Amino acid sequence: MSSEPVIETLGLSKAFGRQRALDNVSLKVFPGSIGLLGPNGAGKSTLMKCLLQLQPITAGSAKLLGREVGREGREIRKRVGYAPEQNCHIPGMAGCEYVTYCAQLSGLPFQAARQRAHEMLDFVGMSQERYRRVDSYSTGMKQRLKLAQAIVHDPEIVFLDEPANGLDPKGQAQILELVQGLWRIHGITVILSSHLLHDVEQVCEQIIIIARGRVLVHDTLENLKARKRGAAEVVLARGHSELQAACRGKNWLCDLLPNGHLRIEHRADTLNPLLTLMHELQLPPLEVIPSPNALEETFVQALEISHAAA
Amino acid sequence: MPLHDAHYQHWGGAHTGIWGRRWVIAQNGLSACLRSKLLRYVVLVSWVGGLLMAAFLFFLGQLLVPDSNMTRWVMQISPDIRAFVRMFTSWLQDHPEVSVGTTQNVLFYYYGVYSMPLSIIALGMALPALITRDLASNAILIYSSKAVTRGDYLLGKFCTAFGVMTLTWLGPLCGAWFVGNLLAPDWTFFWHARIALIHVLIFGLSSMAVLSLLALGVSAVSSREKSTPALWFTWWVLGLAIQPIALHTLQWLRHLSFGYNLKQIALAVFHLGRELQTAQDSIPILGQLLRQVPPATRAALDHPLLGGAVMGLAVMLLTAALIVNKRVVPE
Repeated sequence: MSSEPVIETLGLSKAFGRQRALDNVSLKVFPGSIGLLGPNGAGKSTLMKCLLQLQPITAGSAKLLGREVGREGREIRKRVGYAPEQNCHIPGMAGCEYVTYCAQLSGLPFQAARQRAHEMLDFVGMSQERYRRVDSYSTGMKQRLKLAQAIVHDPEIVFLDEPANGLDPKGQAQILELVQGLWRIHGITVILSSHLLHDVEQVCEQIIIIARGRVLVHDTLENLKARKRGAAEVVLARGHSELQAACRGKNWLCDLLPNGHLRIEHRADTLNPLLTLMHELQLPPLEVIPSPNALEETFVQALEISHAAA
Repeated sequence: MPLHDAHYQHWGGAHTGIWGRRWVIAQNGLSACLRSKLLRYVVLVSWVGGLLMAAFLFFLGQLLVPDSNMTRWVMQISPDIRAFVRMFTSWLQDHPEVSVGTTQNVLFYYYGVYSMPLSIIALGMALPALITRDLASNAILIYSSKAVTRGDYLLGKFCTAFGVMTLTWLGPLCGAWFVGNLLAPDWTFFWHARIALIHVLIFGLSSMAVLSLLALGVSAVSSREKSTPALWFTWWVLGLAIQPIALHTLQWLRHLSFGYNLKQIALAVFHLGRELQTAQDSIPILGQLLRQVPPATRAALDHPLLGGAVMGLAVMLLTAALIVNKRVVPE
């Protein structure tokens, strides 16, 4: 990991009227592939837009690639790529013209821009359709085009806002594979925003979970997966009360869930103590569901916060 | 089969400067405008007009030379014309500044003012390619995420509008001046007609700047491609229609028309009243003709309503700036 953070925010807040889209976000993100995870409306896109100066910051400060956001906009964006969630092509252009134009806007001379545009369109897997007008593209092609325009100027960091949205499973896998390669093979820091845990898990090494504009967790995927709270859900055919009493005897928290399962916090790294207890009580479980890891748990928590707010 | 190496490659070349990127925006806008066949026709008609003006200047120039074929041919038409031409040629020798300078100044005033509608039409046709389409397709977000600011984007679009007007208005005007004087019998025509060119440039550049900014404002009003040209043409036509009505009611209403305001500025820049007075004093035949001009018309030529025109345009520009500021935001 490089010692210099690519993103640094301190008390970053963004309000739309009375609604706070970002609330006191303080982050220090180092180069890598970073997943920005959270339910819809959590503030992921707003965070990206604030960092790219597409939205003015209400309070706090932010640095991108070591430069103060809001002061050196052009210089920062020369080194940054962005693929927004919504469609936003320039009308009347063919795909290759569009990517060339985007490269020129990022400061590439025309010849280099045209060559890079074709290289990037090849990279994202677009063939002859690049000569067709963008207006006629399918959702999948538009997603590929957005990725191509985001990386055409060889940025140091690329922000991808829901890049796999609207794609079929095969298309999703292809796009995510390309995104994964950007950091792992080519060393471009990727900030991938998604509301899908699976996408982020597949691509990213660091995870930031956001809900209602607040950062719930920021850690590596490895650490989050390793962090378990030692709990499990047990499905029994009989003997619920016996098991509950035995758990109380061992000072384990045990709740009967609405679906009839028992949720037991045994506080151990493995399920062995719980299984031993059930063996002693001669209560064969129908199913034992190990506790979710911290990533899943925090994501579920984010969803719950979001639903509660709605 | 990929056209290039399908692996990602890093790029280490030198970046273009900010003016290069602004130029790219302007150039792209202009080529988008010129994809319209109708607009290309308007450009063609404008240049044909410029050529006709150059031909007219050539004709006038030849009349000022006593032994030219044109003079000999014209003098054959009638004794009156012969007398007029003789007077005209001798007048050139006595007052070259007036015969060339004043004549071209007056001609370029009329050509400038009356060819402006063509460029207003061209600008109306170019409006969707300025900001409207970018609003519709959310392209503002893409521009804003690149190494350009909102100011760079607007400057590029302003240059696009300016370019359309250069092609349809200032270009033909300057071209006519250059070709007309190039074909004149004497190189000194360039010198004597310099004031006309300066007036053309002052009026042309200032009007183009105003109209381009107004066009940006109108093109940012809506994201529908048909709405913004409709609004532009409605405003223009209403402005023309309101002038005769306002003359007898609320005179300030005339300043709601950008065309009227620009005409007042043209009168002030070209000093049309003063130039006509010079012509009246220097040329007896013209003097008699000009004395028949109604006093109210002469007063309007002598004293253009510059204050009102500037005020009217300032309000329009402020409104356009507010619209652009409100609408051209990435979202």
